[in-house]
Amino acid sequence: MQTKQHSILLSLALLAALILSACTAAAPAAAPTAVPQATAAPTSSVKIGLVTDVGRVNDRSFNQSAWEGVVQAATALGLQEGDGYKYIETQDSKDYADNIQQFIDADFNVIVTVGFALGEATIAAAKANPEIYFIGVDQFQGETLPNLTGLVFYEDRSGFLAGALAAQLSKTGTIASVLGTDLVPPVVAFGQGFELGAKYINPNIQVISTYHPGEISQAFTDPEWGAATAKQALDQGADVIFGAGGITGNGALQEVATAPGAGTDVFCIGVDTDQWETLPAAHPCLVSSAMKLITPAVVELINTYSADSKMTAGNYFGGAGLAPFHDFDAKIPQEVKDKLKEIATALESGSLATGYGQ
Amino acid sequence: MMQRTLRITSYVAILLVLLFVLMTLLVNLTPLGENRWLRIFFSVSALNFTLRASVPLILGALCGILCERTGIVNIGIEGMMLAGAFAAFVAKTSTNDWPLTASLIFGVLVALLVGGLMGLLHATFAIRYRMDQIISGTVLIILAGGISAYLFDRDAVAQGKFGAIAIPGLSQIPVLGEVLFTNPPLTYLALLLVVVIHVGLFSTRWGLRSRACGEHPRAADTVGINVNRLRYMNTVLGGMLAGLAGGFLVLEAVGQFQEGMTAGRGFIALAAMIFGNWMPFGAMSAALLFGYTQALQNELLLAGVTSVPRQFVSMIPYLVTIIAVCGFVGRVRPPAAEGQVYEQESGSE
Repeated sequence: MQTKQHSILLSLALLAALILSACTAAAPAAAPTAVPQATAAPTSSVKIGLVTDVGRVNDRSFNQSAWEGVVQAATALGLQEGDGYKYIETQDSKDYADNIQQFIDADFNVIVTVGFALGEATIAAAKANPEIYFIGVDQFQGETLPNLTGLVFYEDRSGFLAGALAAQLSKTGTIASVLGTDLVPPVVAFGQGFELGAKYINPNIQVISTYHPGEISQAFTDPEWGAATAKQALDQGADVIFGAGGITGNGALQEVATAPGAGTDVFCIGVDTDQWETLPAAHPCLVSSAMKLITPAVVELINTYSADSKMTAGNYFGGAGLAPFHDFDAKIPQEVKDKLKEIATALESGSLATGYGQ
Repeated sequence: MMQRTLRITSYVAILLVLLFVLMTLLVNLTPLGENRWLRIFFSVSALNFTLRASVPLILGALCGILCERTGIVNIGIEGMMLAGAFAAFVAKTSTNDWPLTASLIFGVLVALLVGGLMGLLHATFAIRYRMDQIISGTVLIILAGGISAYLFDRDAVAQGKFGAIAIPGLSQIPVLGEVLFTNPPLTYLALLLVVVIHVGLFSTRWGLRSRACGEHPRAADTVGINVNRLRYMNTVLGGMLAGLAGGFLVLEAVGQFQEGMTAGRGFIALAAMIFGNWMPFGAMSAALLFGYTQALQNELLLAGVTSVPRQFVSMIPYLVTIIAVCGFVGRVRPPAAEGQVYEQESGSE
């Protein structure tokens, strides 16, 4: 009898375990939303759905940046969360197509998919549903579809700026990058840009870099590999480390932050977002981040669509650049800042090419 | 016969290690180090990486050995590790205002406690409720992944982590001192535990009884050993070791927690345990080998060697595993009663 009671308790515990693991999706994204002004804004027929890459919507990285863009655009349109705009968190890479289909079945007409890995599923869905507008963040489009925008960035440019900064900070003449995986083109662009930028400042600088050996699903979620690899690079005399690879890269930044001489002799540079905001543990060494500005680009694309029903076909290039220096602002010499500004302007105007992909 | 093969393998291993040490000394102290390839294989940075990458694998494998030697299959090492890591992080962040050492030690203790509780859960499922042990292990992995992701507060920052302690005297030895005797405390502890568990398993009453439970529980029961109590105890101890591996990741290696940060180390530890033939020193060697191949991959990339495609470099650990397991197959033998529920014969029969 007692055993039976225990069995029931046990089953409940297991059930709770399953529910809890499923619950990771339930946490609402704490994006800075204003209270939606349902009455003030014009009623719109736009319904925006966002499918994240594997991970959570408040990951302080891609998913969150894209979602913040959706929230901003939707709030301006007076949409209600749940009804007018919502997200689905992907739990497993096998679910990409199903998650997109859920939005299609629920009559959403703008679907944002976040991440390179969703590229194929997005293209397939866009071909099957020509009346729905798709935005694929980080998905370069080789073939132009009328209802699909590939939101891409000049990662090589922000990597180039990061490399230029690193080369000017380095005293040992060796800098390093700890990268996610070369299976994802934007990561390669960041890495190559970093090297080219460093060589642009100092042709003799030694740039050492390494990619995570695992497959895509592991390459961005292994902070200890990033940390140990950063240590390996420090052991080899590198004094500025560029960590580009999600949580793996974060591990590298955290390692540098706790290394002897952090912030005086050794520095680190983050990636994607302004990591000063997203990774407080890296503050001791974080001079800047090579950013891609996802949020404003998503807002821009959604606004273009809702205002004129115009679907931007092909690729749309969002902004890219260096994040502010924050606490290191006073420690970075003015001539370094001037040089970076000069390079950024030249890259923008086209008078300077990074040399990536040539 | 078995004994003799074992002895020969040990001699070969020791010889290889000595050769390796000699090469390392030569490369780092003589002009031999100017050779790029030798530097890739024997540089200090590669050896530091190797040891560091092996520690969680060693602890995880020891956890597996303790459980499986008494007859409980444990594929949930990954979950126990993750739970330990998360517990250590929570403990560390909530005691940030304590003195650093106290706070870190508190973190280690909490990691041990939570790891032990995970072990207890596994043992309860496996022994009391006679659940399939593979399923129970899977449940632990899902449970730890779900709860830690759900409760993880991204704004929390753990301040400080274990720093390296140089052992006086020994750390002055060139090269070896830097690699072996200038490490943070949990690394020393992991290496020490290998010896302790080896001696415990093969030279104490507890070890003999544990192994009896894993090989032939009925025989053990007949001579009056409480099989299930011993299985409970060893699974809890094993859980504590896996928890310690998680604590290592948070308190000594990365310094912070991230979701899913164990990244498959529990499974690689399992492979190290099998590869090491359920022996502590064997598992340690396997873990070091896995760590070394990882280090080698990085060294090659960092040295800018592009003549070998990166994908081939990534294959090294798996190739080594396959070759090694093939070479040793037939010798590797799991405990006989592994995974079998034992019904104690109290009273009847």
